[in-house]
Amino acid sequence: MDVSQAKQEHLLALKVMRLTKPTLFTNMPVTCEDRDLPGDLFVRLMKDDPSTVKGAETLILGEMLTLPQNFGNIFLGETFSSYINVHNDSNQVVKDILVKADLQTSSQRLNLSASNSAVSELKPECCIDDVIHHEVKEIGTHILVCAVSYTTQTGEKLYFRKFFKFQVLKPLDVKTKFYNAETDEVFLEAQIQNITTSPMFMEKVSLEPSMMYNVTELNNVNNAENSSTFGRMSYLQPLDTRQYLYCLKPKPEFAEKAGVIKGVTVIGKLDIVWKTNLGERGRLQTSQLQRMAPGYGDVRLSLELIPDTVSLEEPFDITCKITNCSERTMDLVLEMCNTRSVHWCGVSGRQLGKLSPSASLSIPLKLLSSVQGLQSISGLRLTDTFLKRTYEYDDIAQVCVVCPYTSPES
Amino acid sequence: LLFVSGETLDAAVPSQTDPTEDSFREESIDLDAEAFVSPQDDSSHFESLIDKLNDQMMESVMISDSPNSEEEDVVPIDSLLEQNEEEEAKTPDGDTEERNEDVSTASAAEPEEASEALFKEENEEEKIVQVDDKRETVAPDDPKPEAPKTQDTALEMDTDTPPKDEAVPVCTIFSQGVQPKAQALIPDGFQPTLVKSPSFTIGNTETPNKLVPQVCQPSPSLSKFFTDSSTVNPASDFFDSFTTSTSFISISNPNAASPKTAAPPESPLLSAPTAAGTYFTPVATKPQVSPVEPMSQLQAVFPSGDDPFGSALITSELDKRYDAWLPSDDTRKVLISVATQQISPVQIDREQLAMPGLKFDNLQGDAVKDLMQRFLGDQAAMKRQVLSASSVEQNFLGLKRLISTKNWRAAVDLTGRLLTAHGQGYGKSGQPTNHTTDSLQLWFVRLSLLVKLNLFQNAELEFEPFGNLDHPNLYYEYYPTVYPGRRGSMVPFSMRVLHAELPQYLQKHQETLDRLHRIKSVCQKILSNLQEGLAEDGSMMNLTQDNRLASIQLWRSRLSRVMYSMANCLLMMKDYVLAVETYHSIIEYEPEQSVQLLSGMGRIFLQIGDIRTAEKYFQDVEKACQSKGETPNEDTSVLMNRAFVYLSQNNYADAHTCFSSVLKLDPKNPVASNNAAVCLLYLGRLKESLGQLESLVHKDPALYLHESVLFNLTTMYELESSRSTQKKQALLEATACREGDSFNVQCLKLV
Repeated sequence: MDVSQAKQEHLLALKVMRLTKPTLFTNMPVTCEDRDLPGDLFVRLMKDDPSTVKGAETLILGEMLTLPQNFGNIFLGETFSSYINVHNDSNQVVKDILVKADLQTSSQRLNLSASNSAVSELKPECCIDDVIHHEVKEIGTHILVCAVSYTTQTGEKLYFRKFFKFQVLKPLDVKTKFYNAETDEVFLEAQIQNITTSPMFMEKVSLEPSMMYNVTELNNVNNAENSSTFGRMSYLQPLDTRQYLYCLKPKPEFAEKAGVIKGVTVIGKLDIVWKTNLGERGRLQTSQLQRMAPGYGDVRLSLELIPDTVSLEEPFDITCKITNCSERTMDLVLEMCNTRSVHWCGVSGRQLGKLSPSASLSIPLKLLSSVQGLQSISGLRLTDTFLKRTYEYDDIAQVCVVCPYTSPES
Repeated sequence: LLFVSGETLDAAVPSQTDPTEDSFREESIDLDAEAFVSPQDDSSHFESLIDKLNDQMMESVMISDSPNSEEEDVVPIDSLLEQNEEEEAKTPDGDTEERNEDVSTASAAEPEEASEALFKEENEEEKIVQVDDKRETVAPDDPKPEAPKTQDTALEMDTDTPPKDEAVPVCTIFSQGVQPKAQALIPDGFQPTLVKSPSFTIGNTETPNKLVPQVCQPSPSLSKFFTDSSTVNPASDFFDSFTTSTSFISISNPNAASPKTAAPPESPLLSAPTAAGTYFTPVATKPQVSPVEPMSQLQAVFPSGDDPFGSALITSELDKRYDAWLPSDDTRKVLISVATQQISPVQIDREQLAMPGLKFDNLQGDAVKDLMQRFLGDQAAMKRQVLSASSVEQNFLGLKRLISTKNWRAAVDLTGRLLTAHGQGYGKSGQPTNHTTDSLQLWFVRLSLLVKLNLFQNAELEFEPFGNLDHPNLYYEYYPTVYPGRRGSMVPFSMRVLHAELPQYLQKHQETLDRLHRIKSVCQKILSNLQEGLAEDGSMMNLTQDNRLASIQLWRSRLSRVMYSMANCLLMMKDYVLAVETYHSIIEYEPEQSVQLLSGMGRIFLQIGDIRTAEKYFQDVEKACQSKGETPNEDTSVLMNRAFVYLSQNNYADAHTCFSSVLKLDPKNPVASNNAAVCLLYLGRLKESLGQLESLVHKDPALYLHESVLFNLTTMYELESSRSTQKKQALLEATACREGDSFNVQCLKLV
């Protein structure tokens, strides 16, 4: 402390305090009964304590607000608020005071002061107050730069600055996964993890789809109240993860079978709003989520009709749909190869005729299974006679094969 | 040290030449940075995901607002650090990269300290710049386009390295700012030292020899305790209350009739014969007229033939009701064999007995006085007068006086003396001892006060010999000669609750819950016994209807007390779902507290951030108020809840209005006035806020000299000016003339 005496003194003092939300005071009830030694002393002490809840003194969560005790953590998407106070410590009037608060991030410098005009004079013991707010949009080191310039009574112009450094942390960890349905639908699973140290109330988690998709949220139970699948209390404890599910359907004009959705497409982005202590709010969006549309090659074979359960050794019907996804016309031949369990009925090597680009045709097929259980339908081969290219289709669907007879023993 | 006044301009002149130029350079860097900032682009920094598409692994998604994906690792937050202006300016460009690393490692190495300080300022460096023409040259100055902006920031961040040139005067304004760090561990700055009790040396003589068969005579030679301490009050003052055995009955001592002691109605112990129905009355002298049930209490139990007083022995219904407890099976067996004289207490294995003793001695100390000595000088400190353990009567009355004047440290000392006199002093843990109603009450008071003083470790140490509070020698049945006919637990119920609550303050919440569940199940069992027409302990004893109802009422209130503790513990564990559920279930037991409970649950939701659910609870509060015939606008709790909702919506202005309207209804509501002042601060009205709190504290210290208010006040002092210490000292003086030795001086933030 000795060094400070040699130091240049300023007439003005600058003080900065981060304004996180205040906290509710919790008290510590220690009670006794009337017949115990202290009699009603403990009860009286608790009743006289201004921080207890009157009438329910044993409730620890009181109503008294206390100011933040430390800087705390600040997370991306939250709002950084700070009180800036410039106080005239001297006994003379100071003139032309200009207070400037800037926030320096790794990429930019922002001016946060409410006003940029100078205060003409400041009497002793008076102060200039400013409360600044800034929604934090970058991770990493931030520096609050406060600059004060003023003129003394003798006309001397003085200037000083103070720097306050803080780190902005990442609040959430978001992981996504796409599931392609046999239809054109795409399911998006998003895992959102709270990586802060305090519980977090998820006020809103929604998927903003790109122009190609319509989205259905699958995070509600369809009952009268349409309540959340996460239960009544929708908060995430530190390190808790929650899974959100969305179903995306391409708009008709962008349907995959039309060949429009190909390769990498933008699905949309997640918009997340959370709140913590006494409504401290944060909001983040993910970057655009991208998905690779499943590749169908030149010819796509999909199933339009298939029973889920069939009887052993009894023929059943399926309907296949063959779409030409290439840019040229094809002349196709269909071959059917039996597998260990699947036996195709009908002629193999049949001509399907010419198929122009984006056109499709449906063909009914008949087959039977010689093995019980869940069986994979495989063995379809399409050959384009123009290019002499063969496309193989295995595991295109599964059926459950059951035995229709009751065995003689039973 | 704080700024005195800014008259020393010349001092800065020498250092003015270099730094001014440096600051230009720094300013130009800022310009440079701005010039290169491109508008945020969502996809620009997003790496291609093609390779990973359709991969079954989950993918990490980047959050678009962060421009530099490499820095996504969690970096410990740094407190607000004062930057070193000259330092950064002196740094040549070539150094920047390695310096940048310095910063990041430094911040990684001090994650703890970072979050502590409110606005700690390190390396505070102020520089005078002649503002005139030179500042205007800042803009046209060369912006150095070749310097990439990230490096520039690295320069700015470079704060932790000390200045290299000649010692620059450094002032740490808020060295106090670091102080809250200690708060978690040492709640009030006092660490009790294990000092050997002065009575330890003479202790051996007064403990009953373990081989002496008359174990049942408690504290036979206690008067020795006071032989060397020569206090005003004769030892018998205190010991009378312990003398419950017939052979030790003494006439109520003359001091008991002194005006001091006679006045308070809650001090009947020394005037035993008149205070019927209180537990500390010697059993044999009891007329057993309970004020509540004048007729029903006469009941002879244990009219055993060999006891000359047997026929006269009666246990009051009140005792039975309050002392009822269900021991564990093992303990029950021991107690039965003692009662049926199959076994003498002397034969019982020592392992099974509770043998407590003081674990430390002399907490004496007065933090307020110490602070006064330090900041206001010895003379001011001399004026501080608080009661000490020696300055009051050495008995329960003195103890109560210390407690009610909030001299809890002295009170703990006094309990220590009294327990020492009882043979359970320092170092006596593990030695055979006898318990009495009074000795256990003393332990209860002592341990409660330790908890109130936040001395949890000490409390835990001294609780340890009591185990689960289920040792046979903690039951009246263990002392058939001293307490003939009396049954049940000597351990007061409140002590069981305290014992259960203690571990949670030492971060052992699960232990607390386990213990509370055990108490809860006993309460429920006793209640079901009562409802089935049995006595509390399940025996077939006839209870009058009045007694039964009174007992049910008592045990229901005890059950609800345990549930409160559970809910509180769950809340501390942040298990909000269960906490809210438990608070909900208390409403059934305490319907008159429904408004407070519903409001409390609403506040829990606000704490989580779930404002919508909180509002639902607050609506229930309004309904509850309406059903009581009150209009919502006239109910303080409704207004208070509204204020909290506004607060959670960042609407401090309306929150302030609500708190103010509470004050119109209830001008002496300390919570509303404190909260209104807090709102003012968030509205940027520091001076007003300070003025209001300050005047409240000085006008009505009884209500406002509270930890939370003082903490707010001192925080605002620190924010307001450089002379906060003087103002805090004024608060210290105000505190000194009102508060006892248990005052938590930490909230004054003086050290």
